[in-house]
Amino acid sequence: MNEDLIKQHGLTIDEFKIIHKYLKRDLSIEELGIFSAMWNEHCCYKTSKKWLKKLPTENNIVIQGPGENAGIIDLKDNDGIAFKIESHNHPSYIEPFNGSATGVGGILRDIFTMGARPIATLDSIRFGDITTDKTKYLLNGVVHGIGHYGNCIGIPNIGGECEFDSSYDYNNLVNAMAIGHVKNDRIFYSKPKTIGGLIVYIGSKTGKDGIHGASMASDVFSEDDEDEKRPSVQVGDPFMEKLLMEGCLELMSSGLIESMQDMGAAGITSSSVEMASKGEVGVLINLDKIPLREPLSPYEILLSESQERMLAVIEPENNEKVKSILKRWQIDYEVIGEITDTKRVVFSSKNKNVVDLPVNIIVDDAPEYDREFYIPKKRKINDFDLTNLNIENMVDNLFQNLNYLEKSWVFNQYDSTVMGDTIKEPGQSSGIVKIHDSDKVIGATTDCNPLYIRINPEKGMEYTVLESYRNLVCSNLKPLAITNNLNFASPHDPNIMGEIVLSINGLRKSASQLDTPIVSGNVSLYNQTNDRPIKPTPVIGMVGFNDNYENIISNKFQNESDLIILIGNTMSKNSSPYFLQDQLTVKKVTQFNELIDINYDLEKKNIKVLYNIFDHNLVTSCNDISRGGVFLTLIKMLQNNYGFNINIKDKFDIFCEYQAGYILTINKNDYGSIKNIFEKNQIEYQNIGEVTKESIEINSKKFDYFKILNDYLNNFEKIIN
Amino acid sequence: MSFKSAVITFPGSNCDRDALVYLKALTNGEVLNIWHEENSLPNVDLVIVPGGFSFGDYLRSGAMASKSKIINDLINHSKKGGYILGICNGFQILSEIGLLKGALIQNKRLKFLGKNCFIKKRYQSDFNCLINKDQVLKIPVAHNEGNFYCDDSDLKYLHDNELIAFEYCEGKFSNSIANINGSIDNIAGITNKDKNILGMMPHPERAFQNFHSSQDGKLILESLLS
Amino acid sequence: MRIKILIRLKSQILEPQGKVIEKSLSNLGLKNLNNIRQGKLIELDIPDKFSKEERDELITSACKKLLVNEIIEEYEVLG
Repeated sequence: MNEDLIKQHGLTIDEFKIIHKYLKRDLSIEELGIFSAMWNEHCCYKTSKKWLKKLPTENNIVIQGPGENAGIIDLKDNDGIAFKIESHNHPSYIEPFNGSATGVGGILRDIFTMGARPIATLDSIRFGDITTDKTKYLLNGVVHGIGHYGNCIGIPNIGGECEFDSSYDYNNLVNAMAIGHVKNDRIFYSKPKTIGGLIVYIGSKTGKDGIHGASMASDVFSEDDEDEKRPSVQVGDPFMEKLLMEGCLELMSSGLIESMQDMGAAGITSSSVEMASKGEVGVLINLDKIPLREPLSPYEILLSESQERMLAVIEPENNEKVKSILKRWQIDYEVIGEITDTKRVVFSSKNKNVVDLPVNIIVDDAPEYDREFYIPKKRKINDFDLTNLNIENMVDNLFQNLNYLEKSWVFNQYDSTVMGDTIKEPGQSSGIVKIHDSDKVIGATTDCNPLYIRINPEKGMEYTVLESYRNLVCSNLKPLAITNNLNFASPHDPNIMGEIVLSINGLRKSASQLDTPIVSGNVSLYNQTNDRPIKPTPVIGMVGFNDNYENIISNKFQNESDLIILIGNTMSKNSSPYFLQDQLTVKKVTQFNELIDINYDLEKKNIKVLYNIFDHNLVTSCNDISRGGVFLTLIKMLQNNYGFNINIKDKFDIFCEYQAGYILTINKNDYGSIKNIFEKNQIEYQNIGEVTKESIEINSKKFDYFKILNDYLNNFEKIIN
Repeated sequence: MSFKSAVITFPGSNCDRDALVYLKALTNGEVLNIWHEENSLPNVDLVIVPGGFSFGDYLRSGAMASKSKIINDLINHSKKGGYILGICNGFQILSEIGLLKGALIQNKRLKFLGKNCFIKKRYQSDFNCLINKDQVLKIPVAHNEGNFYCDDSDLKYLHDNELIAFEYCEGKFSNSIANINGSIDNIAGITNKDKNILGMMPHPERAFQNFHSSQDGKLILESLLS
Repeated sequence: MRIKILIRLKSQILEPQGKVIEKSLSNLGLKNLNNIRQGKLIELDIPDKFSKEERDELITSACKKLLVNEIIEEYEVLG
């Protein structure tokens, strides 16, 4: 086979040799296409597998860890939660609206494929410098796409994050997370059981969408690539997805389905190979039976990424019942093949086998690389000039920086209250939804601190996990488990590979410390255009739980004159990365001081005492401290014209980041009880002031309340337009 | 007396379950779910046409749903004086059927709008009789086409016959202008001439439980029951 | 026979997308493009055996019954 053709399919010559040696024959073009799709990073994790294996993935509440469409954890009483995060980075750069919309569609299918009804979505989106028209176009398109798909299908979007940094100028990131509720005795897996079971195709017809999308997701961009790649972006149809979701959930609850797999990246190829591999069986599929939107070659059918399609296995006697349910939902349906005992993947067209491969060569023999990596050098200690700080300038700085502003422009384009179970909407420390027909609640958050991770990939990752953890704790949720989306630049650069290896190690450490196993995830590499890599962006989606919604603590002020209490340790000005970057405009990554050592004892001690005082009903509101420090946390806690009056030893410290940092408000009369509990548990705390009406005062300096509020709430929209 | 009600589901409806929960929580009678392909409605006091994106909202919001099989009997139900409440997409569907005046076009700022909005009563009807004049209700909206439009003569008709049920207004600590979507005269909901049909963009069925951000949505169903 | 039907918002209805498109074009340096309106085009096939009258009648009823909402839209059958 010709070398160019092999390279065009994203395979190396060495990889091709492995295949050739095994098969001892030449490949058909269709077979080459299959290897291209299955052996790229997106499907087989060839670069990251060695490291991902080290992650903790189990504990007594994990029902399903990584390896299925989504992870599932146990909430008792037969209730479970399926969740996963997935990236759609490259498609969203090429065509932001459809790229992000289909990202949401894909992750929702991952959830309902397992028999879970989706109950919430979140998203983590990152863009470059907002001053360019391109970034504005991407931001508008991505937000519109996420909103359009989720709003139409009717799943509430309950939160997420949106960051701007020039490292994403040519590679924006779109990671979408979905959560579903499942009955634990009704979980569906991709593993088929019956030899002779019918393979059925459910959903939209197949067209030319996204041919080679999965291998596109593993390419480094060059700037002039965009137009060339445009045709391969998939177009989503949320209406079809809604029908597909209702139809599939009905089939599953009627017990008519044996196994199910969504046709995501690499379409029918990856879904059928996956089924065969999981069940240790073979598949025989007649490509002539696939419902087509336009005439397609077998090669195109195999690699099409048309959206809103499912593959299921049913027992032959259920065929008519399945057909009639899907007809009611107006969904296309076709029997396209059967499960065999050959352990081979066979696709036929016009009475000829165009693909005939043993399953194990595709899956088990997929390459796994141990790429070279460098560990970052030890940092020199740098003392910054802190003499000319001015608090008013610092406040203004924050409100001119998109990363600190309220992002209602984004989340008001999302329906966050559909399904009627939303308890906390976007814009708070975590989104929270109630499990329908139950008092149980699930909270979720997505986080990443790329700057921390660039400074120290391992510790930075641990801080990211801790931040997610605090996001949930401050609402009185018990964090349960993690899904991750590892977005990095090219692993061929040993420095980048070092970031991958070390941040996975950081994830391992923090997840073990906190007993929050990783139950699902996704890897997106090559987020780099020419020599411009993105900052390392391993995003965490964390899910937390409380068994009664009435226990949830508000993140916003509740009463005038409540006392404001601060706990946690400041990272101080010299060692707060975002403070240095955004207030002192430190730009070069080499200039930052080493991250402060993680203090798990302190984190755990503070968490424990918070749960204690929440249980005693001593807290009226609570929020965690992250980028923007105490000051921004207080701003985020404003509502109903409440303000604050605080006194702090070093007023500039209020912009610094914190370890184990939280702000809480309490009724004045409870101060004695709180003091007792804190002292008994050796918690250091500061009573920094109180909640006021329509005023903001810091160390006796008065600020214009309405200007600050107006800047915080409205500047985002002003800046992006 | 037991109050019977029903919710119609179209392909793409996504607030049908929410409407069923709302009715079950606040009424004492049977609550039924009717598929759009049924020929007739059961004998009920109230029918809710729920929110969502019926038929993907392709062509125009509500256009395809307004031609569904069940619609003939929905019209009969209204002629007999039965109550109909159209929420969001349901309002769009009722306009497309012609049961209500005007039409709902794309929001003036061209973006989907999902947030709490504030409304108050304009003219009295059975749907808002428990609401005081000048009482501000906080209820979520979630729509892309909620910008109410009608021509001058229809607008005059709506005023002359006192058919405007709700209008958008400013709320406390509200960071927005009253008119969130460009609707003529801030119209958030209207009735037909006999005032047995209400179409409104805000979602009362998302504002009634103790964990919702507001419970003001109760007042609409409670008004009807009073 | 292929029929094209152009549907637009009535001229008296404010059409903000036109303004936005105009602004975006102007940002791209494409000035002097004014009074932009956006509509939708529906294409369909009608059997050739139909007479012009039959064709017109079918199209008119399709427009009036479903394709066009005459409260806000107007339409034009193209060629």
